[in-house]
Amino acid sequence: MTQAKINSFLMGVLLAICTIWLLVPFTMAILWSLVDPAQPWTPDHLLPPQMSTYRWTNMWENSALKPALLNSYTLAPITAIVTLLLAMPTSYCLARVPFPGREVAKLLVLLPLVVPGFVTAIFFTAILFQLGLTQSRFLAILIAHCVLFLPYAIRTLTVGFEQVRQDHIDAARDLGASPIARFRAAYLPALRPSIFASLLIVFIQSIEEFAIAFIVGSPDFTTVPTLLFSRLGQDFIRPDAAVLSLILVVPNVILMLFLEALLKSANPTLSSGKG
Amino acid sequence: MSKIIVQDLTMQFDQFVAVNKVSFEVQQGEFVTLLGPSGCGKTTLLKMISGFLTPTQGRIHIGGKDVTRTPPEDRDTALCFQSYALFPHMTVRGNLEFGLRQQRTPAGDRKARVSQIAVQLSLEQQLGKLPNALSGGQQQRVALGRALSMQPGVILFDEPLSNLDAKLRDQVRFEIKRIQHENALTAVYVTHDQSEALALSDRVIVMRDGQIEQIATPEDLYHTPATSFVADFIGNANVMPAEVIGEADGGGWILDSKIGQLISRDPRDPQAKKINIAWRPELAHVTPEGPLSGTVVSRAFQGNFTDLHVVTQGQSYRLQVPHSDVSVGDEVAFGLDAKDVLMLEPSR
Repeated sequence: MTQAKINSFLMGVLLAICTIWLLVPFTMAILWSLVDPAQPWTPDHLLPPQMSTYRWTNMWENSALKPALLNSYTLAPITAIVTLLLAMPTSYCLARVPFPGREVAKLLVLLPLVVPGFVTAIFFTAILFQLGLTQSRFLAILIAHCVLFLPYAIRTLTVGFEQVRQDHIDAARDLGASPIARFRAAYLPALRPSIFASLLIVFIQSIEEFAIAFIVGSPDFTTVPTLLFSRLGQDFIRPDAAVLSLILVVPNVILMLFLEALLKSANPTLSSGKG
Repeated sequence: MSKIIVQDLTMQFDQFVAVNKVSFEVQQGEFVTLLGPSGCGKTTLLKMISGFLTPTQGRIHIGGKDVTRTPPEDRDTALCFQSYALFPHMTVRGNLEFGLRQQRTPAGDRKARVSQIAVQLSLEQQLGKLPNALSGGQQQRVALGRALSMQPGVILFDEPLSNLDAKLRDQVRFEIKRIQHENALTAVYVTHDQSEALALSDRVIVMRDGQIEQIATPEDLYHTPATSFVADFIGNANVMPAEVIGEADGGGWILDSKIGQLISRDPRDPQAKKINIAWRPELAHVTPEGPLSGTVVSRAFQGNFTDLHVVTQGQSYRLQVPHSDVSVGDEVAFGLDAKDVLMLEPSR
C-alpha cells in the first residue's frame, strides 16, 4: 500500500471511531430520555417500546430545573466576561512585555490546572467562607469560577496577543492613533478569535463545573450539574438523568461548533502573509 | 519648514552601540538616503527619527522643534514600513483615511484628500478592496498613500522596495521619487541597495558600524569615495594597497602596487606613504598596448559586458570588458587613466 492509501485508510478508521464515540452515547441518551414510564426499556428491546416526551415535561414542571438553568446561564456568561477582563492585562504582559522569567511565568499560570477540581474546591470554599461570602452563594461561586478558569483565559489570550503584529501597532502610532484607536486598529482584529475562544471555553467550563457549585451551593442553590449529580446519587432514575445530561451538553456542543466556525473564519492574513 | 537636524545621536543596547555619535542635516525638500550593510545602524537611526526609539544621547530637531523625546504619534513624520503594515481588516480607503480620522478631519475633506491620493497613485479602482486582494506593488502604493495622506513634513522609508521583484522595484522607485518631488517632501530613505540609493537621492549617507562613513551626492560618492569601504560598497571598486613613490611630472603621484606602477591624479594629496588605492573595473581600457596585464581566472558574461576576475602577482581584481572573446587563462593587457586612480586612507 502506498503512503497516501495508508493515510486515507487511517483517516477513515479515525472518522469511524469518532462517529461511534459521539453518536452512540448521544443516541443512547436521547433514547433513554424518551422512555415512557408506563413501559420500562428492558434489555430484550432494541428501542424503547413506548416513547414520549413525558420525562422532559415532567422534569421541566416538577423539579428545580428552571432555577438551576437560570443560575447556570447567568453564572456562566458573567464568569466568562469577568475572567476575560481579568486575564487581558496578564496576557498582554506575558505576550508583549519582555521581563526576566517570562517563560517560567507562562508555565506557572497553567499550574492550577494540575490540581484535581475537588481538592481545589474543598480548600477554596473554606477560604470563601472565611471571607464571609456565605451571604451570596451566587457571588461566591462566581469568584471561585473566575479564579479557577483564569488559566484557560490567560493561555488563550496570551497566544492571541502574541499574534498581534508590532508593525501594525507602530503604523497606528505613526499615524497619530490614541491608545484606544491603536487597540481597535492593531490589537482587536488579531485578538478577536482568542477573545471568542476564551469566552466560550470559560463559559462551558463554568456551565459544567460541579465541585465548587455543589460545595458552596448545597443544599438550595442548584446549577444544572449539581441537579444532575444529585439525580445520579439518590433514587437514580436513568431517563431523568438522560434528560438532564442532554440539557447540560447540547448547548455546549452547539457553542463548540460555533467556536470552530468562528476560528476558521478568522482573517488568515492576520497571522500570516502580507497585509 | 521641515528641516531635520540630527546631533551627536547615540543609541546603545546593553553593551552594543548601534549608532555612535551621528550628526547630519536634511534640508527642506531634500531626499537623503541612509545606506549601509545590514547591522550598520541605519534602521536604528530611522527609528529614532520616527520616534519609536529614544536615543541614549544626542538631539533630533524636526522643523525647528526638539523632538528627541516626542512619541511617534505626536511627530510630523510618516513612516513607510518595509512590511507595508497595512491594516488587513480595513479596505484600501479605510487604510488611506486612518490617519485623517485620528486627526478628526471632517468627512468632506477626508474624502477629497483620499481621492486626490488615489488619483496620484492610480489606486482609484482599488479603494473598496482589502489589502490582501492587491498585488505587492499596489500594497506598496497604499502604504505610501497612507503615509502621504497625513501631509507630513517628513516622510521616512524603511527599505520599502525589498519585498518587490526587480522589475516592479524600478517602477516603484521612479514613482517614489516623482511623488517626493511633486509634494516637495523632506525624505529619509533607508536601504542596503546602492543602486536605489544612487537613483533616488539628492545626498547619500553611507554608514558602517554605527558611524557615518561619508555624506555626499551620488555622483561624488561614486567618483570620489572617501574610504575604500565606500569605494567598494558603491559599485564595486578594485581596492588594493600601494606605496607612494613620489610626484609625477606634470602633476599627480606615482604609485607602486602589485599590478604595476600607476599614476594618480586624485586632487586629494596622499594621507600616508602606504595607502589604499581604488579604481573602477569599468574604467580600465583593455587594449593590447596597455601597460598593465594579468591572467583571467574566471569570467561571467553579463550581456552588455563581460566580467573578468584577473590576477597579477597574487593580487586579484575585476575588469569589465565590452566584448566577450576572452577565455579563462588568457593574458589581458589594460591601461588606467591617471584621473581614475583614487588615493584613499592609509593601508594597514
